[in-house]
Amino acid sequence: MFDYYLRLAWRRCRQNLAMVGLLVLTMAIGIASTMTAMTIFGALSGEPLPGISAHLYVATMDAREAVDKDSPDYKRPDSLLKFADAKALVDARHARQQVAVANSLTTFGRPAGKQSAQAYGLMAYGPVLQTFGVALRYGRPWTEAEQTAATPVVVIDTEVAQKLFGTQDAVGRSVTLGTHSFRVIGVSEPWNPRVQMIEVQQNPGTVIGQKAEFFVPAQAALDAGVGPFLAGECGKGAPVASFQSAAVAQCRWIETWLRLDTPSAVTGYGEFLAGYANAQQDAGRFVYPPQAKLFGTRAWLTLNHVVPDDVRLNLLLAGAFLLLCLINVAGLLAARFLRRQGDVAIRRALGASKRTVFVQHLVETGVLGLLGGVLALPLTWLGLWIVRMQPVGYAEAAKFSPGVFAALFVLSLAVGLVVGILPAWRVCRLPPALQIKLG
Amino acid sequence: MRHTVKPLLHHRMMPLLVVLQVALACAIACNALFLLQQKLVPILTPDGVAQPQQLVVAWGIAPRGNPWPVSTLRQSEAELGAIPGVTSASLAASWPMQTTAEMNGTVLTEDKRIKASAAIYLGDRLRDTLGLKLVAGRDFSAREDAVVYKGVGVGTDGPTIITQALANRLFPDGHALGQVIRIGEQADAGRRTVVGVVAHLMRNAFGQDSRASIDYSMLFPGTPTDWPVPIFGVRVRSTAEVAGVLKAVKAVVQRELGPNMIQGVDPNYHTYAEMRETMLAQPKAAVWLLSGVSLIVLLVALVGIMGMTSYWVQQRTRQIGIRRALGARREHILHELQLENLLVVGVGVLLGLACAYGINLWLMRHYELTRLPWHYLPFGALLMLLLGQLAVLGPALRAAQVPPVVATRSV
Repeated sequence: MFDYYLRLAWRRCRQNLAMVGLLVLTMAIGIASTMTAMTIFGALSGEPLPGISAHLYVATMDAREAVDKDSPDYKRPDSLLKFADAKALVDARHARQQVAVANSLTTFGRPAGKQSAQAYGLMAYGPVLQTFGVALRYGRPWTEAEQTAATPVVVIDTEVAQKLFGTQDAVGRSVTLGTHSFRVIGVSEPWNPRVQMIEVQQNPGTVIGQKAEFFVPAQAALDAGVGPFLAGECGKGAPVASFQSAAVAQCRWIETWLRLDTPSAVTGYGEFLAGYANAQQDAGRFVYPPQAKLFGTRAWLTLNHVVPDDVRLNLLLAGAFLLLCLINVAGLLAARFLRRQGDVAIRRALGASKRTVFVQHLVETGVLGLLGGVLALPLTWLGLWIVRMQPVGYAEAAKFSPGVFAALFVLSLAVGLVVGILPAWRVCRLPPALQIKLG
Repeated sequence: MRHTVKPLLHHRMMPLLVVLQVALACAIACNALFLLQQKLVPILTPDGVAQPQQLVVAWGIAPRGNPWPVSTLRQSEAELGAIPGVTSASLAASWPMQTTAEMNGTVLTEDKRIKASAAIYLGDRLRDTLGLKLVAGRDFSAREDAVVYKGVGVGTDGPTIITQALANRLFPDGHALGQVIRIGEQADAGRRTVVGVVAHLMRNAFGQDSRASIDYSMLFPGTPTDWPVPIFGVRVRSTAEVAGVLKAVKAVVQRELGPNMIQGVDPNYHTYAEMRETMLAQPKAAVWLLSGVSLIVLLVALVGIMGMTSYWVQQRTRQIGIRRALGARREHILHELQLENLLVVGVGVLLGLACAYGINLWLMRHYELTRLPWHYLPFGALLMLLLGQLAVLGPALRAAQVPPVVATRSV
C-alpha cells in the first residue's frame, strides 16, 4: 500500500513541477536557516566540558585590598584572587575537588636542541587534570609532594610533545620553561573546552575555548620566572595590570574552581566561602564588603556574556521563519489538494476510507518534506559557510557534522508531516457524493 | 461590504491561513527591521575623525612584567613625531575603534540631574592627531597635555573637550563651556571642566545606540602612569607618505620598546581607516544577514498569499460568473477582491503588530534590547498591506476576466 501511495505521490508531483518546486524550495529555505542557527546554538550552548563542567563552580569575591578611586563599585562578580587566597581555598579541601588556575603563554624549549614552541597552558595549584577531566596519554599527574616542594615538573599535550621531541611519549624528557629545566611527567590528550570558561573576564570576545597545551604547578613556574599571561589588578603602588610577569605576589591573577556534586554541597561551600571572605575583611585585608559568591559554569558564562546574544536571537529568528514557511506550505498544499477533489471523490466512491485518503496525502507531503530536506542539505552547508566567513567570535562553531545531518533528516520529515496534516484532513473530510458533484 | 465579509466567515481555512501568515511575517519583519536599523547606526553616523586613511595607529604594545615608564613612552612618542611626514603624534590610553582598553562610564552634571554613558579618550594632542573639528572653546594647552596622572587619571580633576551631542545632552540650555562634569557618581569623583566642544567623536562600545548617544565622547589631556597597553597615533601629511610612515612607526616602536614586549603577541600597526573597517565588519555582516532575512520573509509571504488567494478565487469562478451575469462590471469584481484582501491582510497586520510588540517586550526582558519605537509599527503595517495588494493583483485581474457565460456552465 505504502509504495502505491509513493507512486501516486510521484505521479502527482510530475503534473505540476513549478508548484512542487516552489513548495520544496520554501521548505528547504526554512529548514536550512533553522539548521544553520541550530548547529551554532548547539555547539555553543552545551557544557564547555561535557559531563564535567556541570559540577564545576568558580569562587568570586571583591578581594581588593586598596581603595580604588576610579571604580569603587563592585560592578560584577570578580573571580580573580591573590595566590595566597586561592591557596588557602584549595588547601581547605572543603569541596570534593578544587584547583586554582591561570592562563599562561610561554616559550617551551629543549635544553640541548634548538626546537622551541610558543604554547598556551594552565598554571595550577591543585589536581588540575582530575578536576578538569584532562585525559593522560602517558605518565602521571604531579603529586602533592611535588606541588609542595615546587618541583619543576610539567605535563604537556601530545602536540607539543610531537613538536619538541618528534614523539608523543615524552615522559622523562626535559624542557626549558623560563629559567629552569622542567621534567615532563605526563603527556595529555589535546584538551580544550568547547566554550571559553577560564578567565572569561580577561578574554572578552573569546567564545571558543582556548586549548591548554601544558599544565604546570603554579609555584614551580613562578620560581622559573614564568607568570600568568595577564595579572589583573595589583596592590598598592603596583601597576594596574601586567603581562607575563612572575612578580605577581601583590596581584590578583588566579581563579579557583571547585567540584561540588550536590545542592547541599553548593550551599555549604557558599557559606564556607563567605565566611573566609568576611574573615579577610574583618582582618582588614579586604577594604570593600566581599560579597563572596559561587557561580556554576553555565551561570558564570551567561553572566559574562561569553556566548553572544546574537546566537540565541538568530535561532529565534530562524525558528519564526521556519514557522512562516510551514504556514505558507500548508496553505499552498491545501490549495493543491483541494483542487484535486475529483480524484479523491473517485477513490472515496470506489471504497477508500477517510483514513486511507488521509494517509495517502500525508505520504505525499512527507515525500515533499524529504525532498525539501535533500535540497536543504546544500543550503545548510552554504549557510554555515557564510557564518564561517563572518567576523564573529563563534565562526569556528559553524561546522557540518553527522549529527547535523541526522537532525536535518528528522526535521525535514517532521516538517513534511506537520505541514500535511491540515490539508490532508481537509481533503478527506468532504463526503464522496459532494466531491463527485463538484468534480 | 457584507458580501465581502460573509464568504470569508463561511470558508474559513484559506483566509485564516493568510491571516496567520501575514501576522507572522509582519512580526518577524518589524523586529528584523528594527534590529537592522540599530546595526546601521555606527555605520552611518560620522565618527568625527578627519582623513582616516592618513592616521597611523600602533596598539597592543604590551610590556613584559611592569608597565612602561612614562619617560620611555614619551621618548618613543617624540621619535614618532620626528618621522618625516608626521604632522602630529599622540600617546594615548584609549582610542576610538579600539576596544582592548576602553574607558566607558557614566558621566553626570554637577547636580547629578542629567546622566549620560560616554567614552573617555585620554592622551596628549588627541584633537590634532584625530583631526577633530572644534566648534566652540579651545584646544588643550601644551601644559595641560603635559600632565602625568598618578594612576589612570579618570578620577583626577582637569579640563575636558566634549562632543556637541554630549554637550546638548548634559547642558540642554546650550552653555557647555566652563561647566563641570562629574566622572561617576561617587562623592570624590573626578571633576572635569569643559574647555572645548568638537563636532563629532564616536563612542567605541557599539550596542543599543541612537545616532545621538553613539556620539557621547570626552577627551582628557595628559598621560596615565602604569597603564598596561599604551597606544600611539600619528597623523600623516599626505596619503602618499602613509606606507613609509607606517614602516617607520613600526621600526621606532620595535627599536624603543621591542626588547621588553610580551612574547607571542605582536603589536598592531594599522591606519585608522583599517581599524574602523575591522570594528564595523560585524555590524555590516549583521546588516546583510538581517536585510537578507527580511527580504526572504517578505518574498515567502508574497508567494504564499498569492498562491492561496489564487486558489480561493479560482474556487469561486462560478459565483463570479453569476455576479457578472447579474450585472457586476469587471472593476467591481477587481475592487471587491482587493477589498477582501485588504480586510484579510488588515486583520493579519493587526495581529502581527501586537505580536511584534509582544516579542519586542519579551526580547527586552531577556536580552539587551531597547524598546521598539512605535513609529515602526505603521511602516510595517503599510508594507504588509502593500504586499497583500501586490499579491492579490494577479489573481484578481484573472478573476475580473471571467466571462458571464461561465455562470451557465455546470463547471
